[in-house]
Amino acid sequence: MSVQSVPWEVGIVGLLLLGLVTACVGVVSPGGYDGSVGVGYVGGYYEPYVATYGGWGRGYNVAPPRGGDHGDHRAPAGHGGPPSIPSRSPQHH
Amino acid sequence: MSVLFDRTRDPLRGLLVLLALTSCSVALAALPLDLPPVSTPASTEHHPGKVIWADLVTPDLGADESFYGGLFGWTFQIIHTGDSDYAIALLDGRPIAGMLQKAIPAGEKRRPAWLTFIAVRDVDAARAIAISHGAKVMSEPKTYAGRGRQAVLADPEGAVFAVLASASGDPPDFLAAPGDWIWSASFERDPKQSATFYKAVFGYDVFDLPSDDGAEHVILSSDDYARAAIHTLPSDHRQPHWLNFIRVVDAVATAAKAVALGGRVVVEPYVDRHGGKIAVIVDPTGAAVALMEWSETDTKVEPK
Repeated sequence: MSVQSVPWEVGIVGLLLLGLVTACVGVVSPGGYDGSVGVGYVGGYYEPYVATYGGWGRGYNVAPPRGGDHGDHRAPAGHGGPPSIPSRSPQHH
Repeated sequence: MSVLFDRTRDPLRGLLVLLALTSCSVALAALPLDLPPVSTPASTEHHPGKVIWADLVTPDLGADESFYGGLFGWTFQIIHTGDSDYAIALLDGRPIAGMLQKAIPAGEKRRPAWLTFIAVRDVDAARAIAISHGAKVMSEPKTYAGRGRQAVLADPEGAVFAVLASASGDPPDFLAAPGDWIWSASFERDPKQSATFYKAVFGYDVFDLPSDDGAEHVILSSDDYARAAIHTLPSDHRQPHWLNFIRVVDAVATAAKAVALGGRVVVEPYVDRHGGKIAVIVDPTGAAVALMEWSETDTKVEPK
């Protein structure tokens, strides 16, 4: 059995082709989600157009409870009232 | 150059050069995104369950930069991502959000929306727990230098959110400045059932709030702070979703300015349970954000 030498150019072409295929896979692989772009950034999201926002009227309360707003909530056993959001400002830290 | 591309003299060499050039350009496009850290300066704190980032995908980045810059004083740092641009929104030099330019796929009825990023310590573990409780994976976990590791999920009702393990720690628990995100809420058909899901994924404490509006309102908390709420999806809404709130000094004035900048008001300013005003606006491309007034005296005493 004789062994033939392969021109070095063929080896380089093979390596480049391999690299090209690998890079292409890296570019397009994170599909399946319309927020992925270019290099496959995972973020952003286009909603179905049926999504609706707002539209509620007065009395539909969406804010967090504030200080002293303990009310008569039904808290889990062993817990006090619902907490509020942080109040410290960075300047006072 | 003429020698390099003289394929009649050496076809293999010409192919070699062509492949090398193509490989270089593709490799450049495939360079990993280096996104800025969420916490600047870096923090050693971790607050699983805290909303720490928001992303918007938009078909008109320029329009949204003008809108949010004019309304909240945000400035922008553009990062080129090969075939698109990703704008980091800064408030007083601190990254608070990202906006991604991308065309809406032709023939698809979709519209922009802000994506809510919730802090976790381990994205893959959160993904596994979420799936076991009925979530779907919209985008598999991916790591970005600087930012950390993130994934996009849809809860059992279909509301889409993201989980993020920040590489720079989570931002400390300070009161949001005007122009920054201050609150987030999910609108679901069954808030209690959804709360069970979010408790399983993020370890929240769950509190029911009294209600006389015929809807259910649930507070999700961690570290003794309210992190988010779940409300009954209004009857005319068909798709459960998250909505993020930006702190403003004057909701009426901000809503009016939003209209002047090309946006719309979808919930007129009204006084909510905390005594401040709430409004919901839509930016020129159709993405919604809520406005919330919050005075320094609105917050309960700090936990010990």
